[in-house]
Amino acid sequence: MDSKTDLSRRRFLKQAGAVSAAGAVGGLSGYAGFAHAAGKPVESMNLLTANASFDPVRPEMGRLITQACQSIGWDVKLAAEDYNLGIGKVFKEKDFDMFIVRWTGRANRIDPETFISMMHSRDGSYNKWGYDNARVNELAKAQQVTMNPDKRRELVHEAQAVLFDDVATCPIVYPSMTNAYREDRLDGLVPMMGEGIGSFWSDMNVSTRSGDGYVRTGQTSPLKNLNPVSATDSNEFKELRMIYDRLIQVGPDGSIVPWAAKSVTAVDDTTVDIVLRDGMKWHDGKPVTIEDVKFTFEYCTKWKAPFFISSLEKFASMEITGSNSMRILLSEPHAPLMNNFFAQIFILPKHIWQDIPEKAQVDDVLNFANENPVGSGPFRFDYWDRGKELKVSANADHFQPPKCAGIIRITYGSHDAMAAAIETGECDRTRYILKPALVQDLDKIAGVAGRGYASHGMYGFMFNHLRGPLQDRAFREAIDLLIPRDVIRDVVMAGFATNGGSVIAPANEFWHNPAVAGRSHNVKKAKDVLAAAGYSWDGDGKLHYPG
Amino acid sequence: MGDYILRRLIYTLITIFAVASILFIVFRMLPGEATLQVISPAMDEAVQERMRAAFGLDQPLWQQYFIYLKNLVTLEWGRSFVSAQEVTDILSYRFWNTILLMAAGMCLTLVLGIGFGIIMAWKRNSALDIGGTVISLIFQAAPPFITGLLLLIVLSYRLGIFPTGGMYPPGMRPEGLLELLVMPEFWHRIVLPTITVGAYYISTPMLIMRDSMLEVLGSDFIELAKAKGLKPSRVMLRHAARNALLGVVTIASIMVGFAVGGQVVVESLFSWPGMGQLMVESAAAHDYPVAQGTFLTLAILVISLNFLTDVAYCYLDPRIKISSTGLT
Repeated sequence: MDSKTDLSRRRFLKQAGAVSAAGAVGGLSGYAGFAHAAGKPVESMNLLTANASFDPVRPEMGRLITQACQSIGWDVKLAAEDYNLGIGKVFKEKDFDMFIVRWTGRANRIDPETFISMMHSRDGSYNKWGYDNARVNELAKAQQVTMNPDKRRELVHEAQAVLFDDVATCPIVYPSMTNAYREDRLDGLVPMMGEGIGSFWSDMNVSTRSGDGYVRTGQTSPLKNLNPVSATDSNEFKELRMIYDRLIQVGPDGSIVPWAAKSVTAVDDTTVDIVLRDGMKWHDGKPVTIEDVKFTFEYCTKWKAPFFISSLEKFASMEITGSNSMRILLSEPHAPLMNNFFAQIFILPKHIWQDIPEKAQVDDVLNFANENPVGSGPFRFDYWDRGKELKVSANADHFQPPKCAGIIRITYGSHDAMAAAIETGECDRTRYILKPALVQDLDKIAGVAGRGYASHGMYGFMFNHLRGPLQDRAFREAIDLLIPRDVIRDVVMAGFATNGGSVIAPANEFWHNPAVAGRSHNVKKAKDVLAAAGYSWDGDGKLHYPG
Repeated sequence: MGDYILRRLIYTLITIFAVASILFIVFRMLPGEATLQVISPAMDEAVQERMRAAFGLDQPLWQQYFIYLKNLVTLEWGRSFVSAQEVTDILSYRFWNTILLMAAGMCLTLVLGIGFGIIMAWKRNSALDIGGTVISLIFQAAPPFITGLLLLIVLSYRLGIFPTGGMYPPGMRPEGLLELLVMPEFWHRIVLPTITVGAYYISTPMLIMRDSMLEVLGSDFIELAKAKGLKPSRVMLRHAARNALLGVVTIASIMVGFAVGGQVVVESLFSWPGMGQLMVESAAAHDYPVAQGTFLTLAILVISLNFLTDVAYCYLDPRIKISSTGLT
């Protein structure tokens, strides 16, 4: 490991402790932006969440947290808005005080890159909240270039501890992936971390006891498109991965398993060798070759495939080294590559895509509808009715043929409609989140199971680190102590969650730092933390800045 | 007459142009950004910029507007921002689904509305007349989502007689219209939305028919027919009803226009993949090309039907004269 990035745990703890102590003793001395506010009442702030029609849980959490903040004399207002408007305010306009967001347990978030670097390093693409901690920046970069998983884990553990101590983000709860399915009809469902029974491994292993063998799978969000180059959303990835093969897959427990590639091996920090499986065929009968794999990388680079381009930019060169093998040289080590690139990118048939977009009469591949996708995956495309359903059938020629006849993905207008369809037997299982209360209700019905499955996602309470008292670590710690996690877990989440602590959830066993225990709801302690930092209360109980 | 039709045609085209322009502005005034729907805001700014360029959103608004107008005229309505499918392909599929539902609803409305209107007028002030009027007004006052929800709760969820929605069972997409129409599951699924549409619109033809009938029934020729000793049913249907029908015929075309445009709630409620559902989906997704296409198609349909109604008036009712400014 590079000596510059070799940050020992002991060294970190020393520094973190010193930072903490300085914060507690020195109060706000480190926050020049407060000078003008000394002694004044702490300004009123907004807590932004998605509205109940998008996610019934978020406004409820927000209401409980705003009440808790008001109980210590700080005026916080809840703003439950349209999801996309809220996302725009945070990520585009950066005009927000605090917001609650659900970081869903996507497969590419099993790698610590998202929660450590993208969210918390100064240059992280998600970091629109102005979080800037020199220590975290250093650790975030170090974990990116450390290819040895065990050494990388040490860095990730340290980063979690720093982030927790600095209260960079407050994980509220780790929600389970709440699913329901007809247990009287389906066998062989395989839950996956973060995806529950909606996983790829369920698609591959599920079988039906009766009927036509197709598994009717419900989801409330419509499928947007079937273009594997332009897709960026897990919603589309979940369907595309049935039609297109990937080189490797993220297994049910989050580990990497070989798929279309016999092996993807990091020979050294900047060299990756790929050996493709023999005898694979595209759905139109033509053979899958290593040339197709190389073409896929080149094509996605040329057209700047939105999801993959940042990884592809790390490629310095690539060459075919044998009838079924190739070598990639990287411009610098990049540890997230396995999980976030090789286990995500879809192999494209060169004989079809080499003529796109020219023959498709569009000027850009992002505008190509790919209405009849031809892949090499375990399912063949039958049809897609936009907004309604997608039907794929098992590909018996695949090296690992599915056990069901096929999957029919049905879009329902609401969680309630999807639950009713499960109840009546029209739908066999849910692909994605079903409202916890409905899962509870469905579980009481004969032949139906409602379950929560461990996820590495979280409901996060995010601060705008550039605004008012949120710049102050002590203030953020007080808010963290005010979050009524037990009530949120038991009542709002109907028990389908565990309390939040580290930014990497315990379900993500390999990367989670078990030494980071969350803070428990404790109003008195929150007030003590504020008082120790110099905050005070006036006769009306209103909270004032130190000074 | 020719002048009048030409003038009406010009007014119609101006109205369509105005609607098209308003739609362009309205969708771009919606809060939120189109690209957020299809691309994560966490992506590189360069990638997002590229996405905007692919959609043509990087050009100045006035330029987008002129491209939009040109494409409208050449019938190149672009591609969906979300699925990249051609707007005209999406619309043509969805349009016929809406027409099917609307046709079923209108048939039910007109047949029952006219039938009940005749009987109610014939049995004026009876319990049937009063009850029919009250019930039809209640249905008209109740928004379709209330009627539809009640039907769903009772007939689908409680009694399990009808499916909860969709046009065909999952996984059984028919190849073409004919295959759809011979599919028993399709007819099973169209019942509840048809009743919902029918219940909402039935009061209009029913009450118009009733009033026209009452007017006709007071005429001398009806008295004469009765005096000739004709059977009451013959007087009611052959003499009175036929003459009273004109009022309903003229209102029917306007009703059809409104019914096509008013399917948003019914289609959303019953997951009917028509224009109404497409309107909601595309507007929510900031899918400008599809949203504009959907609204514009419906606007053109309603405006054209109005135009045709105006023209038809001249031929259907010779009592209507045409002045230099139009109808008098």
